[in-house]
Amino acid sequence: MAGSALRRLMAEYKQLTLNPPEGIIAGPINEENFFEWEALITGPEGTCFEGGIFPAKLVFPPDYPLSPPKMQFICEMFHPNIYADGRVCISILHAPGDDPMGYESSAERWSPVQSVEKILLSVVSMLAEPNDESGANVDAAKMWREDRDQFNKIAERLVRKTLGLPPP
Amino acid sequence: MKALLATVISLALTTVVIGNAYYQKKQFYPSIVYLTNSNPSMAVMYLQAFILVLLVGKLLRKIFFGQLRPAEFEHLIERSWYAITETCLAFTVFRDDFNPKFIALFTLLLFLKAFHWLAEDRVDYMERSPVIGWLFHVRILTLLLLLANCDFYFIHHAYQFTASKGPSVQLVFGFEYSILIIMIVNILIKYVLHAIDSRWEAPWESKAAVLLYTELAINFLKVLLYIGFVAVMVRIYTLPLFAFRPMYETMRSFKKAYNDVVLSRRAIRNMNTLYPDATPAELAAADNECIICREEMHTGAKKLPCNHIFHAACLRLWFQRQQTCPTCRLNVLRAPVPDTTAAGGAAPAPRAPLAPNAAPAPPPAAGPVPPPFPNMPPPPPMMAWGIPPPPPPRPASLANLTTAELQRMEGNERRNIEARLQLLREIQAMLDASVLLMQQYSTVVANLPQNSTSVSTQTETQIEETRREPEEPVVKSEPDVVPTTSSYKSPSPTPSTSKTFAPSVLDGSSSQMPQTDTPTSIDSNRDKTDADADELRRRRLQKFAMDK
Ligand SMILES: [Zn+2]
Ligand SMILES: [Zn+2]
Repeated sequence: MAGSALRRLMAEYKQLTLNPPEGIIAGPINEENFFEWEALITGPEGTCFEGGIFPAKLVFPPDYPLSPPKMQFICEMFHPNIYADGRVCISILHAPGDDPMGYESSAERWSPVQSVEKILLSVVSMLAEPNDESGANVDAAKMWREDRDQFNKIAERLVRKTLGLPPP
Repeated sequence: MKALLATVISLALTTVVIGNAYYQKKQFYPSIVYLTNSNPSMAVMYLQAFILVLLVGKLLRKIFFGQLRPAEFEHLIERSWYAITETCLAFTVFRDDFNPKFIALFTLLLFLKAFHWLAEDRVDYMERSPVIGWLFHVRILTLLLLLANCDFYFIHHAYQFTASKGPSVQLVFGFEYSILIIMIVNILIKYVLHAIDSRWEAPWESKAAVLLYTELAINFLKVLLYIGFVAVMVRIYTLPLFAFRPMYETMRSFKKAYNDVVLSRRAIRNMNTLYPDATPAELAAADNECIICREEMHTGAKKLPCNHIFHAACLRLWFQRQQTCPTCRLNVLRAPVPDTTAAGGAAPAPRAPLAPNAAPAPPPAAGPVPPPFPNMPPPPPMMAWGIPPPPPPRPASLANLTTAELQRMEGNERRNIEARLQLLREIQAMLDASVLLMQQYSTVVANLPQNSTSVSTQTETQIEETRREPEEPVVKSEPDVVPTTSSYKSPSPTPSTSKTFAPSVLDGSSSQMPQTDTPTSIDSNRDKTDADADELRRRRLQKFAMDK
């Protein structure tokens, strides 16, 4: 079984290297251990996260792809669907059955058909369009709803921070 | 760095305190008495002991685990917090026996627990690490042996103590160490399985099943232990609040393991007996790739009722977790209806190549639907001898549509939904017409009492028919009737939809429709089908709202 998870991760890595989706780079942190990846996600254009390069870590379970990986941003993030410690809360990362938020339809949940690429693309679209019903970061969700300017300001600061620029 | 500093400071403090005591009393025993009577000195001694324990822990960790991975460390910290809170809760129950020995015993328990957790994490990691050296095996086996010995010793001790001196806090220790020994057994089984697995070149398929059953058995034992422990505690002391969280978790995982075993057994049995092997042509249509493992399929591929194809081995592993199609999430334990609608609507993933006739279809709303009333025959003249008039025609549109059109109609777009609404309205009109006819019948019936029974029953079934018609033609077509092999051996996707669907509509108006031979099964399954239909409708409405 270990073998099959490893082979599938290698296949996905190869696929991602050959045909990288736009704005996304991902691969194992070190090639000795294919179960921990690092991903760099570019903030989607036309959104408040535009231009930022956000590093994240993906940890795969031994029974991947039967169970979903875990994903965590390793830079500071402020977003309704990202916990304060960087963990990403979107339905594709949850196995049907475990529903921390209680209202995700099982249609978008994890299944072996999903892949690293699909997860990362979902995360990009999550950056563009937060789902302010999920309470991963209540403050961010509230600000996103009620004070978009302030939210954009914080996002801009984070974008500059990921690029190593001083705050504006 | 911080740790080093703390160690140095506590060491210095201890030296000062002991030196001070000895300086004041000059002799060994008096200085000991002095130390134990002075609270600040005791605080320093406790701190020193705590730091010593941490140091020993670090040393042992280095010996048995080497460097901890960050995930292991986080896990350890998280579990320690829970354990410490629960220990504090336990203190409140046993505040009468509160003394240094008591604290020392609890610290030791925590200490040993931490090593159990680490061993568990490390053994789980075996599955992921590509290479496992002999050092790993030596370390894990020695550690497990040592831990098992400690656990046995403490269980024995607790038993002796309780037997000779009656119930005390030793009950808790006996119980905690029993849980730990079960954990050791679990770890050992996993270790053996992983070790065997890593020796074999080919993937070992039954390993997951063995793990599943181990999980079930271990959790069952744990649940028994917890229940026994709580019962004893309630009789002797009070409710052991500190045991509730782990007990709840154990029960939950036991329930989960039980469900997993039962449902996966059923799904796997279905797969082995009901689902056909994929033919080479079907394999080629799916690019020969199994979407679960992303490897080629040559033989041993199975086709689910929804026509998605996977390796039988991959499916077995997946069914041990979920009993759905990985691609379209069709619940394989429910009615194996070739349900194309759920597939299209739900799966975010690219679908496996579907029926070729799905693509070209004129929008159904384009108006192949003739208004119901104009093409209805005028109410037949009532003959004196009361021949029942021909039954009202059904909405011609539904029966005339091709499979592809029906599929389109089942889609989520706005105009499809509008088309559906339109159809529903027409069916409503049909119903009104039937009511009209009914009234005419009743006038006839008034004249011909001997004919009444046969006529009315027939009409009723027709109305029943019409009423059921609008909802979900596809879902309805073959309800959850347990698939007899004949209907099941060759489920070809969309064609079969049309096959099962069309007759029920075309022949629906005549009295011998295909379903009438199993009337009870239809009735008993109606509720379930309705629930499904409701679910579908709800989902569709949601989608609809989103499209807007
Ligand atoms: Zn496969
Ligand atoms: Zn399917």
